[in-house]
Amino acid sequence: METPREITVLQAAIILISTIIGVGVLALPRIAVLSGDTGAPLVTLLGILLAFFGLVMITLLGMRFPNQSLIRYSEVILGKPMARFGSIVIIAFFAVLTALASREFGEVVITSVLRRTPLEITVIVMLLLAAITTRNDITTFAYIHHFYSPIILAPVILIVILSLKNAEVIRLLPIWGNEPNGMFIGVLTVAALFQGFFILTMIIPSMRRPDRAMTASIWGMTIAGGLYLIIVIASLAVFGAEEVKLLLWPTLELAKTTSLPANILERLDAAFLAVWVTAVFTTLFSSYFLMIHATTELFQLRNHRMFSLFFLPFVFIIAMVPDNVLQMYELIEIVGRFGLLITVVYPTILWVVALIRKKRGKNHATRTNR
Amino acid sequence: MSFWKRKKNKNRSNKGSIGVPHQFLEKHKNEQITGNLEDTLAIIQKLLGASDDMVTRRFHVFKEYAAALVYCSSLVDHTLINMDVMKPLMSTPPKGGHWNENRLKEVIKDETLYHSDLRLEIDLAKIVHAIHCGETIIFIEGIKDAFVVGTRKIEKRAIDQPGTEQVIRGPREGFIEQIGTNLSLLRYRLQTADFRIKMMEVGRVTKSKVAICYIEGIANPKLVEEVKDRIGAIDMDVVLDVGYIEQFIEDNHLSPFPQIQNTERPDKTVAQLVEGRVAILADGSPFALIVPTVFHQFYQTPEDYAQRFLVASAIRIIRLISLFFSLITSSLYVAIISFNPELIPTQFAVAVAGGRAGVPFPAVVEVFVMEVSMEILREATVRLPQQVGGALSIVGVLVIGQAAVSAGFVSPITVVVIALTTIGSFATPAYNAAIALRLLRFPIIILAGIFGLYGVMVGIILIINHMLSLRSYGVPYMSPIVPGNYQGMKDIVIRAPLWWMKKRPASLHTANRERLGDDVMQKLKQPPSNTLDPVDVGNRKEDSPDGDTT
Repeated sequence: METPREITVLQAAIILISTIIGVGVLALPRIAVLSGDTGAPLVTLLGILLAFFGLVMITLLGMRFPNQSLIRYSEVILGKPMARFGSIVIIAFFAVLTALASREFGEVVITSVLRRTPLEITVIVMLLLAAITTRNDITTFAYIHHFYSPIILAPVILIVILSLKNAEVIRLLPIWGNEPNGMFIGVLTVAALFQGFFILTMIIPSMRRPDRAMTASIWGMTIAGGLYLIIVIASLAVFGAEEVKLLLWPTLELAKTTSLPANILERLDAAFLAVWVTAVFTTLFSSYFLMIHATTELFQLRNHRMFSLFFLPFVFIIAMVPDNVLQMYELIEIVGRFGLLITVVYPTILWVVALIRKKRGKNHATRTNR
Repeated sequence: MSFWKRKKNKNRSNKGSIGVPHQFLEKHKNEQITGNLEDTLAIIQKLLGASDDMVTRRFHVFKEYAAALVYCSSLVDHTLINMDVMKPLMSTPPKGGHWNENRLKEVIKDETLYHSDLRLEIDLAKIVHAIHCGETIIFIEGIKDAFVVGTRKIEKRAIDQPGTEQVIRGPREGFIEQIGTNLSLLRYRLQTADFRIKMMEVGRVTKSKVAICYIEGIANPKLVEEVKDRIGAIDMDVVLDVGYIEQFIEDNHLSPFPQIQNTERPDKTVAQLVEGRVAILADGSPFALIVPTVFHQFYQTPEDYAQRFLVASAIRIIRLISLFFSLITSSLYVAIISFNPELIPTQFAVAVAGGRAGVPFPAVVEVFVMEVSMEILREATVRLPQQVGGALSIVGVLVIGQAAVSAGFVSPITVVVIALTTIGSFATPAYNAAIALRLLRFPIIILAGIFGLYGVMVGIILIINHMLSLRSYGVPYMSPIVPGNYQGMKDIVIRAPLWWMKKRPASLHTANRERLGDDVMQKLKQPPSNTLDPVDVGNRKEDSPDGDTT
């Protein structure tokens, strides 16, 4: 099946950025600080590096098989039965990831803005939004990410800049942290927040120049990772390690402490959250898209549209499984760390096997740019 | 020959009735007339005699050959028929003598009739059609062909200022209903051999003329073909306005957003043609359609390019803000008042609370009712005669503004918000885009009433996603913002100086992209020669000129 090759390197990088930046940002400083204390930025950095390793694997595989997505070339590398099992696990994992992301944001919304709205409503609205939008093709998918990228980057940067006046460098020391024993688990959990990068495997077959996918992934990871890093640093510098541990969503608290000059808006958190809907939407959109496109490719169908609403009830039911916020975060951390097996270890195995078995996709003739 | 005899017999048995002329002609598409004048006139009479404005005038060509003139008196120029057709035919021929049929035809065609628009026609269907186009038909006994003289004259209004697209600076001409006049308005602005006009006929009953205009060598040939295909596929009985065509040839029929631009302005049409787009005109419609169209065209006006670029850019930014206002101000208000009052600065919050103190409804109901009544007011004013309009606007201002507040029905701030959205929507130059956004704000208000800011965002995301998925003839609707194009961005938020915009829009894939000559920039950069600089002119003490008051 020939897909339209329209996505540019810039768009691919943007898709990575806006997919990775999602609801995870809200809780990230707490996760990092809980495991690394003042070493949180270090934990985050290591997490980013681990995630980047997985992304590099995906990119290398994608450049080796420029016309296929992981679902297809894993069949070439591992043989059909094993690869299909792997693909089903991937689809299930991303269904859970979508569900948990929507649930997490639903919790944020009902806790801080819509206190009397049932959780189910906020979750289903978000999921419906993603599900309806996945009915579009991959070009529109890229356009949507492209269009929202400034709206995702701007508020985070704004809040970090505005919070600088409350920041103190002393709170960042020592860099190694006071009790660095929980760091390893923390690195895994932080890396798990980056799992959206897996979408790249669906993007590469539609890229105009698949050979330049590595540029896209380096840029995507640098910007998204850099943003995560400055958020952690900023929250740590403003609140200090002990305080961050007590906050459920430190980034949201960061928004609360800041205010715009000239008193335009009294508080920023609700406005921040409103804009943040787009970031969550793009993340959900990507993982939902990944899920239904993986399914379509697994069954070798032409049209992905039928799946977009088909998956909705399942994802919704998974989202409703945790009883409360605490249980949800436990589940998110466990699922996230398990997911690294799929998003980092599995591509590595595929790449090594591909090297050993000397499997290679048909070379994509680079199209001359118009 | 045999057909007519057969037909005549049949007709005689039917007592001369022929049924619906159009269906009859469809059945006998390729039938031809004979040289027999009486037979021909009989069949024409049976076909068209039911209409009382059909005129048959019998006379003798060169005072000896029996002939008849057939025309539709409501469509023709009588002076022209008298002077250019009847007069030469009825006067004595230059040389005497009796001619045979072929010679007579030649004499009439080549020596007698000096009207330029003359042709010979033999198909009955085409002749009947020609009569209905306002042409005059001459049948002559013995000659198998009919002479078709172009004598069409239809009353038309004068070329006027376009009602919907006024400019302060720029041409004042607008299209009128006659397609011929409209094409001439385009032609005189585009005096190039590359300007092409392709005529088509659409509408089973109305047979409206549709013109596809483009510039060869600039417009993408595939685009022109696609437009022709889409128009050719229309099979409908009636095409009264170009808007009928628009609905058949757009890409997404269910979208609230217009994907085809319409304009009354020939200068705008020409500007779009030169950018590589295709214009479609229809007879009877004072609007031209322009394809493909992307969203940013709807807040641009032709005036932007005539003004100096700083001013034009500032005005364009104002328009963008007003677009934004018209879509979301009221819903933001509802969301903030009902769900997030903590966002409002404290002093102002007190004022808002004070204003809302006596209002019995939740903010969403209040805003919704006011928005609907504003729309009613707008719709009422559109079709009102001007004499009544004044009364209505007084009633509108008093009732919806002052009285509603005094009655405690709405809060004063709501009125301000409603005014902002309404004025904002009127600042958008394109009516069809403005009304789309104006209607889309209602669902967002409802979402804001249910989910607050979260709902507003969900609504906006849905709208933007839809806009991003739209295509107009394959051109992404939001281009050149998404997918980004640096050259195109110069004409989006700001209007860059004309010499910056060197290329035609990339999304149109034009055959020739250069708009500017190579050395334009160099010439611009040269220091201006100050011809009248006092130093150069010289400090001569001149005699005081006449009329010098000093």
